[in-house]
Order: sequence, then structure tokens, then C-alpha cells
Amino acid sequence: MGFDVSRYMIDKLMWEIDRSDEALDSFVEDPAAFVAAWEGAASAPEPPYPLGGSLTGEERDAFEAWDYERLYALGAHPYLLWHFVRAIHGPGGTPVGELSEAFKAAVAPHGYPEFAT
Amino acid sequence: MVDPVPGDLAEVAAAFDRSRRRLAAAEPDAIVFVASDHFRQLVTSNMPAFMVGKAPSMRGTHPNEVREFGLPVREVPGDPDLARDLLGRHQLPDGFDFAFSDEPWLDHAFMVPLLYLRPQLDVPLVPIFTNCNAPPLPGAARFAALGEHIRTTIQRSSLERRVAVLATGHLAFELGGPRQLSGGSPGPDFDEEALGWIRAGDVAGAVAGCTYERLLDAGNLTFQFLNFIALMAAAGAGPPELAEAVHCRFGPEPFMTWGST
Repeated sequence: MGFDVSRYMIDKLMWEIDRSDEALDSFVEDPAAFVAAWEGAASAPEPPYPLGGSLTGEERDAFEAWDYERLYALGAHPYLLWHFVRAIHGPGGTPVGELSEAFKAAVAPHGYPEFAT
Repeated sequence: MVDPVPGDLAEVAAAFDRSRRRLAAAEPDAIVFVASDHFRQLVTSNMPAFMVGKAPSMRGTHPNEVREFGLPVREVPGDPDLARDLLGRHQLPDGFDFAFSDEPWLDHAFMVPLLYLRPQLDVPLVPIFTNCNAPPLPGAARFAALGEHIRTTIQRSSLERRVAVLATGHLAFELGGPRQLSGGSPGPDFDEEALGWIRAGDVAGAVAGCTYERLLDAGNLTFQFLNFIALMAAAGAGPPELAEAVHCRFGPEPFMTWGST
């Protein structure tokens, strides 16, 4: 799998998690199960295009651990990434200002990775 | 929209109100609106450079924008006849390979301005979705050409509509990067130069100055400034009636208006 395809799959999974409350709740409750189901859907005999996909081991680990620093370094699209991070931390979680400061500190050492797919 | 306006956003609300009154005074029959979808309807499984919405009615916004921004869900009337003037009925116009949508779904880039500028949502809309988010993007010269195409189409249209052309975007902007939500602009030098292009109606200068690298350097998501190049070109490349940058928590927010051309 090429590097560019990999960035696309990171973006695609973030997009699918953020776009419905049902998917978001499901991911937050059990990230590993959500990712497994998402990867399983894409490898089914009749994949539900355009849903589902595949990740590298490093990407899968990053999603399961909510490791946004790693996803940023791998070239996740910044708009999708920030909204994904906000969504999974939810309205009852870390306040946005605090979350933003932590996010900025975490990603700053990585500069501006290529995010074109 | 119903809560009291926080202090730093009061100036933004006042600027929207000035634009709302200017739009009402123009008495438009239709609105052509250049803005960028934010991975709500359009993702890179299929990513059009420029997509014209030609539905008689369309929906805004998406469930995740209701959740995250608290936006209301609304229906907006469309103008399929004017959309077909822009697109061509059976063949696309020479030099412009538009995508089109019979079911466009409007995100905050369209809905937030519309809810301020025309809260009745009673003017039929032709949305033009531009890809300012997922590289490869159309180059700045293509945005100028888009604006010229909008202008000449309206001038030549047999529909004789009074058409308002709207665009949303921003100056230097960053989200999902180390300079996000800092309370100021990530690229003040770019902002100053960009306001100069707008105030002079300098489309050629803006096109020359808006390379991908320059926009990225100003802030990782500055690319929606390109929509303003389309607007400047649609207005005929003259100086605007009004051009101002209003400062708030998101950095400087640009407002600009051109009169009837």
C-alpha cells in the first residue's frame, strides 16, 4: 500500500467516526472494536462502498489509543483531525481551550507534515 | 444565533448586519454562492474541483455540524435554471469542466453566512462548491476564471435575474496545527497583502501572490482565501464599496462588498 493511500484511509476513518452520533458513540465506547468492524466491512465479500477501509498497524494503534500526535505526524488532514479530536473528547470531556493547547503542544514538534492524499 | 453575542463577536455580528442590509437593498432574485465544503458532503473518494448545485431545494446543514456548532437544520430554495446557465444544459461551457449535484448539501460555509445575511432564506440559491481543502486544489487563476465565468453568465443570461454573488472564505487561517486558535492571525503579513489586493480589486496581484506554498505558509488552511479571488473577478476587478477586517477570537474576519456591475 502506498503512502498516499494510507493518508486517505486515516482521513476516511476520521470522517466516518465524526459524521454520525451513532458512529462517534460506538468509537468512543470501544475504539478497537469499531476499527475492527470498519476494517472487516471493507474486506467483506460485498464491501459496503464507500464505507470501511484498512489501516497499517501503526495507524490502527494510533486510532485505538486516541493518539492524535501520531495521526498528525502521519499526515492526517488537519481539518478532519481537529474535528475528530474535538468530537471524541465530547462536550463532557476536556474543555476545548485546554484540549487545543494540549493539541498544539503535541503537534508542534512535527511541523507541517504533507497531508495531500 | 439566539444566545447573547459574546463581546469579541459583537463587531462580527455588526459587520454581518451591514452586509445583510446591503444585500437586502440590492433586492436580488437569486444568489450565486461560492464556498467550500468541509469534508461534509465531499470527501476524497470523489473530490470535484468546482461543483454547481442545481437542485430546486437543498438542505443545510449536516448532523455533525448540528452537534458541533449548534447550527439549525434548514431548507434553502434553489434556482436550477440559473444553475443550468452556469453549467450548460447538455454540454459544459468551453473551458470549465464543472461537476454538478442534484442533491447538494450545504455546510456551515454556506449556512452561517446565509443565516446572518438572509435569515428568511427566501432567495433561490445556486451553490458553487470549491475544493479549497483537499490537495490538489485548483490554482488561483482558475478561481479568477470561475469569477469571470459567473460574471459573464449573469450578464448574458436570458433569465434577467438580479443576481447577488456571495463568497465565503478567510484570510490567514490555521486549524489542526500548532498555530490554531491562538486569538490572532497565523499570517499577519499575508493578511495585510491580501487586504491590499481586495481594496484595489487587484485580481492579477492576488493570483500571482496565492501560490499553494504561500497560502500554506500563512496558515495550514488559508486556501479558502481563493474564493475571494473568484468574488473579486465576478465583481469586475474594480475596488470594492467596502473592505474591512474585523478582529475577533478567530483572528481577522474579512468583509467586502462590491456594488452592482
